[in-house]
Amino acid sequence: MQIPIERFTLPNGLRVVLSEDHASPVVAVNLWYNVGSRNERPGRTGFAHLFEHMMFQGSQHVPDTEHIAHIERVGGAMNGSTWLDRTNYYETVPAHQLELALWLEADRMGFLLPAMTQEKLDNQRSVVQNERRQRVDNQPYGDWDERLQALVFPPEHPYHHSVIGSMEDLDAATLDDVAAFFRTYYAPNNAVLTVCGSFQPAEARRLVERYFGEFPAGPPVPSLPGTPQVPERLGGEVRVEVEAEVALPRVYLAFRIPPYGDERFYAADIAAHLLAAGKASRLYRRLVRERQVAQDVVAYAFPIVTGASMLVLWATVRPGVAVQAVDDALGEELRRLGTEGPTPLEMERARTEIEAHHVFALQQVGQRADHLSLFTTFFDEPERINTELDRYRAVRGDDVRAFAAHFLTPENRVVLTYLPRAERAEAA
Amino acid sequence: MAAPALDRSAPPAPGPLRPFHFPDVERLTLSNGVPLWVAPVHHFPVVTWSVLLEAGGMHEPAERAGVAALTAELLESGAGERSAAELAEQIEGLGVELHSTATWDMAHGGITALRARVEPAIEILADLVRRPTFPDDEVERLRAERLAEILQRRAEPRALAGEMAARFLFSPGSPYARPLAGTPESVAALARPEVVSFHARRFAAGAAFVVAGDLRPQEARALAERHFGDWQVEPAPPPALRVEPRSRVREVVLIDRPGSVQSELRVGHVGVARSTPDYFPLVVMNTVLGGAFSSRLNLNLREQKGYTYGVHSGFAMRRAPGPFVVSTAVQTEVTAPAVAEIVRELAGMRAEPVSPAELTDARTYVAGAFPLRLQTTDGLASRLSELIVYGLPADYFADYRERILAVEAADVLRAAREHLRPEELTIVVVGDSRQVRGPLQALGLGPVTVYDKEGNPL
Repeated sequence: MQIPIERFTLPNGLRVVLSEDHASPVVAVNLWYNVGSRNERPGRTGFAHLFEHMMFQGSQHVPDTEHIAHIERVGGAMNGSTWLDRTNYYETVPAHQLELALWLEADRMGFLLPAMTQEKLDNQRSVVQNERRQRVDNQPYGDWDERLQALVFPPEHPYHHSVIGSMEDLDAATLDDVAAFFRTYYAPNNAVLTVCGSFQPAEARRLVERYFGEFPAGPPVPSLPGTPQVPERLGGEVRVEVEAEVALPRVYLAFRIPPYGDERFYAADIAAHLLAAGKASRLYRRLVRERQVAQDVVAYAFPIVTGASMLVLWATVRPGVAVQAVDDALGEELRRLGTEGPTPLEMERARTEIEAHHVFALQQVGQRADHLSLFTTFFDEPERINTELDRYRAVRGDDVRAFAAHFLTPENRVVLTYLPRAERAEAA
Repeated sequence: MAAPALDRSAPPAPGPLRPFHFPDVERLTLSNGVPLWVAPVHHFPVVTWSVLLEAGGMHEPAERAGVAALTAELLESGAGERSAAELAEQIEGLGVELHSTATWDMAHGGITALRARVEPAIEILADLVRRPTFPDDEVERLRAERLAEILQRRAEPRALAGEMAARFLFSPGSPYARPLAGTPESVAALARPEVVSFHARRFAAGAAFVVAGDLRPQEARALAERHFGDWQVEPAPPPALRVEPRSRVREVVLIDRPGSVQSELRVGHVGVARSTPDYFPLVVMNTVLGGAFSSRLNLNLREQKGYTYGVHSGFAMRRAPGPFVVSTAVQTEVTAPAVAEIVRELAGMRAEPVSPAELTDARTYVAGAFPLRLQTTDGLASRLSELIVYGLPADYFADYRERILAVEAADVLRAAREHLRPEELTIVVVGDSRQVRGPLQALGLGPVTVYDKEGNPL
């Protein structure tokens, strides 16, 4: 399976990727801006995400709530998301509405500020604060990633704070911040536009040039605040216990690892996979099925690119089991991976699964477009959509062993344990 | 030479409409009488294959609540000659996505696989469905996990609100009043004999296959005959369910969760079955009310008032009438005004016809969005399953978009008046009773009763 790719760059610096496919009469438009929570300055945590919300509040030629209404009334699906490194905006629409989607995206890239008002900012601040309450503050274990980021990355690192940000910093955001952020980061030279689906490439190119071509390039994007370079490993173990409104204890382990793009990251991803993806994985088999000390296990290597990344692993403790037993069992399995390494069968299984899921996901034009924007934004190489699997195939069992021995160790980890508040009181 | 500035003042006109056809559905019958419906689509080398069984939550007795879900889950715990660990290794070694779950209506087992690996995947699926072994230790383990999960769900406000909405919308005798996963009492009482007996009775009482993706109908038939041809299945009509509302008087059920910074709201009443003749008007009506981002509820509660990150309404249409519910989480301080707005919006849908713009937008939204979910083989397979579970004709989706586009404002108003009953709402609030009880009482919408997280009155 080969995904076709055509790319060009407008004189203003906007990188454009086209991928034609007539399987369904739909088309995806996907824009990545190379800005995320890592670009936020002190006192403005959460701002990149609040700004993303403002991008849906209309622009000079698109009244208030009409951006989303335009997409919905043609039967499109759309959204946006903010993460540590980037912010994306995307819609999948019926193929004959491609021009509408480009008109909408161009209007907010070129003409956002005339539509910004204090009332809209106050409204979206309140929406985002409710998003934080719903996902973090009112949710069992809801602040795990916020806590782990703060412990794995030092205060001067751009990943030290969470994407959602603090209530206080959200309160402090102003319209001037919106204008400054827009002028600094939302320029064509800091974005990638992907169009994927049913269209004629010459026509798509003409439309992209028509709607985006006249925007001037922005000034050079300022370097990241703080210090992205950190030692490769933590250099010690950090342990934190939290009492919270949770029903069962849960143990989170986080390790500092090389960033996405580093060849060792692929070994990390395979390690996460064979540790906890699926019921044949090591941790599921040992902790959940055989020893029955854990209710579930999850492992995940964050695909983030700024200086370092983290691999997070968690296990929820079964009722009546000592937290220490789970903590010990996790440590033992990681040690074993670092000494014995994976079996050839495990390696084969991990690669097969990663490959199959890649194909399953790419059935949707929206997913394909998002991958193309990702590879272009991070690596300036959309062709990676067709070659990324080779990077996984190149990983040897001994690479995974060496990765585990070097990075998945007690000297390079944060152990965050959640304990039920009620259980403590009853036990006392 | 400077080009004239582009006129961006109005949205561009759409290009020529590309035709969309729901894939042809080939209806075959295996030699053992089991239907096999195939939608061949060859864009990607991917196949989804599902088996549907008359073994859902509706088929279990109340005292065995949770047995359908547990049985479906236990299929992966050992089958034929394979142990649980071997099954997992073989399935994952093929890169196959396997699911095995129960809904209220049915049990579903299915695989999504690359075309080249479909046959070994079907061979395993046949073992799971026909020859599960239900080893004692696995039954014990999964039962204990499900019990722990029930505890966890009660600590999670969204899941707790969902459980309590079901409990307080439906009469205690209605199956939909209980969680599909069972109650702590019913799950604690399940052991291997209950699971074995449920499987023996239900997994041979009505079954069907749906296949979507890169497989021709005759290839699918040959595969099915090889692995399921000698399977004895007796067709059996699904049991009739009695579903009643708990009450027809509007009331507030306040589940106390001290310290909550938000209140989870579930506002609703018993809705309609999938067989309702008002299906199309109801889909359009609900889209206007709370089924899209640009719906009345979301524009009001989120985009105007900033009370919430989002609000949604929906009819869960099952073989029998499922719940109609408005769902949202709002900041604790605005709990009462948010409830008042929801009730007002429901009354508004009944008061006058939707505007021509709302009607057009909702119709084109639903019609246009329809093909998006058909891009994947799973999306297509779940639409085929819908045909079988609800007894719809094979060509039902061929004119689905046209039927949505034909709904008129008068149909929407009639559907709203018939199926929204603001005077009979059960208003479930999971939040901090100390802060929200007084304001909720002051609304005067009905009696406010406070309960604990198990649903016992305080």
